[in-house]
Amino acid sequence: MGIHVAGIESADDAAHRAGGIAFAEGLTKIYGSGEARVVALDEVDVSFERGRLTAIMGPSGSGKSTLMHCMAALDTPTSGRIVIDGVDLAGLKDRELTRLRRDRLGFVFQSFNLVPTLSARENITLPLDIAGKPVDPAWFDNVIDTIGLRDRLAHRPNQLSGGQQQRVACARALVSRPAIVFADEPTGNLDSRASAEILGFLRRSVDDFGQSVVMVTHEPSAAAYADRVLFLDDGRIVDELLSPTADSVLERMRGFDMATRRS
Amino acid sequence: MIKITLAGIRGHILRFLLTAGAVMLGVSFVTGTFVLRDSIDATLNNLFSQALKGVDVQVRGTQSSGDGGLDDARAPLPLALEKTLTAVPGVQRVAPDVQGTALIAGKDGTAVRSGGAPTLGFAFRDDDPAFSLVAGRGPSGPSEVAVEQATLRKSGLSLGDTTRAVVGDQVRPVTITGEVVFGSMFGATAVLVDEATARSAWASDGMVSAFTITAEPGVDQDQLRAAVAAALPATAEAVTGAALDAESQEALKTGLGFFTTFLLVFAGVALFVGAFIIFNTFSMLLGQRTRELALLRAVGASRGQLQGMVLGEAVVIGLLGSALGIGLGILIALGAKAAIRVGLGASIADDLPVSAAAVGWSIVVGVLVTVASAVIPGRRASRIAPVAAMRDDLVIAPKGLRLRGSVGGALLVVGLAGLGYAVTRDDPLWPLAGVGAGLAVLGALVAAPLTTRPVVRLIAWPFAALGGVVGRLARENSLRLPRRTALTASALMIGLALITGLSVVAQSVKASVADIVTSEVTSTYVLSAGGQSLVPTSVSTAAQKLPQVASVATVNGVGVQVGAVDTFAYAGEAGPIAENFALTMRSGELAALDATHVLVDETRAEENGWTVGEAVPVRVGALPARQLIVGGIYADSQFIGQVLIDESLYEEAVPAGARGAFSVHIKAQPTADVAALRAELTTLVEPYLLVSVQDGEEFVDSSASQVDTLLNLLYVLLLFSVVVAVLGIVNTLALSIIERTREIGLLRAVGLGRRQLAGMITIESVATAVFGAVLGAGLGLALGVALQRGLRVQGLETLAIPWLGIGGMLLAASVVGVLAAVIPAVRAVRLNVLQAIATD
Ligand SMILES: Nc1ncnc2c1ncn2[C@@H]1O[C@H](COP(=O)(O)OP(=O)(O)OP(=O)(O)O)[C@@H](O)[C@H]1O
Ligand SMILES: [Mg+2]
Repeated sequence: MGIHVAGIESADDAAHRAGGIAFAEGLTKIYGSGEARVVALDEVDVSFERGRLTAIMGPSGSGKSTLMHCMAALDTPTSGRIVIDGVDLAGLKDRELTRLRRDRLGFVFQSFNLVPTLSARENITLPLDIAGKPVDPAWFDNVIDTIGLRDRLAHRPNQLSGGQQQRVACARALVSRPAIVFADEPTGNLDSRASAEILGFLRRSVDDFGQSVVMVTHEPSAAAYADRVLFLDDGRIVDELLSPTADSVLERMRGFDMATRRS
Repeated sequence: MIKITLAGIRGHILRFLLTAGAVMLGVSFVTGTFVLRDSIDATLNNLFSQALKGVDVQVRGTQSSGDGGLDDARAPLPLALEKTLTAVPGVQRVAPDVQGTALIAGKDGTAVRSGGAPTLGFAFRDDDPAFSLVAGRGPSGPSEVAVEQATLRKSGLSLGDTTRAVVGDQVRPVTITGEVVFGSMFGATAVLVDEATARSAWASDGMVSAFTITAEPGVDQDQLRAAVAAALPATAEAVTGAALDAESQEALKTGLGFFTTFLLVFAGVALFVGAFIIFNTFSMLLGQRTRELALLRAVGASRGQLQGMVLGEAVVIGLLGSALGIGLGILIALGAKAAIRVGLGASIADDLPVSAAAVGWSIVVGVLVTVASAVIPGRRASRIAPVAAMRDDLVIAPKGLRLRGSVGGALLVVGLAGLGYAVTRDDPLWPLAGVGAGLAVLGALVAAPLTTRPVVRLIAWPFAALGGVVGRLARENSLRLPRRTALTASALMIGLALITGLSVVAQSVKASVADIVTSEVTSTYVLSAGGQSLVPTSVSTAAQKLPQVASVATVNGVGVQVGAVDTFAYAGEAGPIAENFALTMRSGELAALDATHVLVDETRAEENGWTVGEAVPVRVGALPARQLIVGGIYADSQFIGQVLIDESLYEEAVPAGARGAFSVHIKAQPTADVAALRAELTTLVEPYLLVSVQDGEEFVDSSASQVDTLLNLLYVLLLFSVVVAVLGIVNTLALSIIERTREIGLLRAVGLGRRQLAGMITIESVATAVFGAVLGAGLGLALGVALQRGLRVQGLETLAIPWLGIGGMLLAASVVGVLAAVIPAVRAVRLNVLQAIATD
């Protein structure tokens, strides 16, 4: 392995991780110590492809959120290495991490994604406004048309439904054209119709705009929207499925359940 | 329930500490006032009993029976009375109170004195029990003095040194021969000269204010008093030492009463402001604990129990705040004593008497204010429906502000209208003005939330325009709960309104004084002793002899009663008055002024129907009433005042030892070289140590600047309430950041930098502080202008608004806003992004 200078990807990495917009090596996250010690992520190696929708599945407590948080520079791993869009997170200061989140990362939480005092439009342009960058009107229109909330832009979050709020959150994640968007159970609080809208939207952003998206979900039907599904268990990636369908995912989960039960 | 109460406090310890801090500041004022009062009381008591040692009977002039402020004027008594008194059986010793002003030049050549404290001169008598000689010997002859211990220390001189002394109106070189100790001088300096010198300096006209009589052994005070009284003329009276002691105690009590009330008013303001903060904190805390409270209700707690829990928390905070406040109050009293010691050179009793009353009142006040402020939030808490425990959105929908706004607006308008009417009348109706002002303040407090939106928008506009999204976020945060922002700002408004009002009045006083002096004084130069001492009469006599001087007018005065008019009259001579002051005669002649004629101003003449040539009864000082003829009526003059009497009447009424001029006005000869004259005058006054030469402009400045000292004291006292209000801003911000933890986490997650976050909180804080300052400035301006209007009949004719000062205050408010944001911003910035998002 080459010597890694923060922010510069060595030729070694590039060759090794061709096509990966973000990757992690030996990613470990340990919470607490002694009795309360929990290994949330255990030496995870993972790479997310450019212009693909990746789904992450796994039982509760398997470390999905932890992985998202570490990859999205919201949390620091105990050990291991994370590279986002060619930038090694190791050794970055809070200010650089903040800038990275602002400029290169999009994030959608399960709920409470919006600032209550700002209108939908202001929430969407928030990362750009924070950075003091101009909004590209054509791109903004594009995003708004995709989420279909043009007539609700002046509304405050408390005047929007849960599904609409999540769509606004997705639009915000896309508006600054981040290298990659992480979504942790974006449809977790929504009914199936609203879920379908969000998932369709994420799918389109990948197909139409070439966006790279990683999302956590518990629903096989949601995972079916993805290009690839990764299965996490006990802090490790245990399986992978390409071009999934709801049935194949369900199948895999069942086998997986049995495997864990057997072990 | 007690367990839950205590747990509630433990769970929100920082917020409760901040609230207790507000109580503490208010209470500390109360404690400090009491402790300071008690220790001054003890000191003065000691001082009096020391001064009255050996006084068995005092003989003094009878009091003028005038009512009004002049009733302590007493007729001077002839020194010749001494013989009569010595002859009374039972009298061992008679000492005429031969005293006046005296001071010496210190090692550095300047006058030895402390602040504005008196510079006393006494006759040195070996047998005087009021003081004792501790070193050297008593003075003998005109060129020797004994000096009081602290005064001597201050002068930097020692026994045997020679220096210059001003004794009465005489200046001469002296040698210090002795050092004496009095009980306590309370800041005054004292110089003692021998009996003959004292009499020539302070009793040159053979008049003194009193005689002190010591009884022969075995003669009791009452007996002696009766015997002495029988020998006295009608203008004199005799009192026993015990009665005198009681009298001074009474006067002391009244004086300290004023002092205490004065300070307690400021304590009240601080506590009132504190009450706002306590109210706000409790409201916010309970808002944040809605779910917890609802859960308690759901598991069976009654409304009364919830209310009891809140009030229980209030009692704990009140007790804690009071206890801390008592500690801080004692420190404040110590600080005030140190300030008095440094400022006045007066040492107050070394021990700090912390009386049970001081502690008791402090605790009662602190707890009552806290509990009273928590009553409404407590009732609100008890009304929370148990179902709220299950609901997600905890925001209690704020009721419309419109009703509140119109009620507040109506109060404000009615209050201001009443105030306006009361003060614009020719004869201001002060009680109505007070009610109007109170209503206006109340109205402003009630209506403030309605003004939050427009005012905060305006204040935040530059931030939103320049600071982009950070500014906009901050603005929206401040507007989120207009009521809370307004309440926080109101706390600041109260103190700043008082400061603004005061500064308007003060500025008006200065402008009015300047206007009066500029328009009414036509002298070339003015000699003054800085307003705290009188200019010795020998100064004007000497000035008169200078060849370049055309005339010298001395401004001295005495209380007079003309008919029903009770006032302080200016005494002078027609010629110099005409040359030094612009006095317009309406009828009669200025030249008519003499021992049998009095001049009055137009308003007094109209009110009493006096006309030139008419005889009016006049009482000058404590002299018996006599008929004087109205010699002339002049247009109202603020500088000269309502009544003008002849110099000779002043000399008759005021013993030589007490005479002196507030200022001496010099009119130069038309051909004079004024610069040379100034040099001559400077040389002339230099030996008098305290007297200086001023031209017109300097005189205006120095007259106006006398307001500043008082003003600064008031500002310091009001600053307390401002500090309390700032604590309130810190508290509100800190609490609102706790409420917004998740939102802050989200903002950080989408890329808001730490600096930007701190900036946002700072802008919120600044917006709140400036909002309070804007409200305070507005209200203060209204009150200040009203006060000036009302006082215009008292001579406060020029309205001057200190725009610069008000601008400075707004600027200071922004700085205060920045400071108040420090703690909350640090806390917000330290929030862990992930944990913040996970908070519920
Ligand atoms: N802040 C924390 N402190 C201690 N342990 C934690 C912390 N956060 C997560 N964990 C532990 O780490 C493990 C992984 O948690 P994580 O939230 O990543 O799971 P998840 O896969 O997202 O589960 P879910 O599907 O329920 O959201 C769990 O065992 C959890 O208890
Ligand atoms: Mg999770």
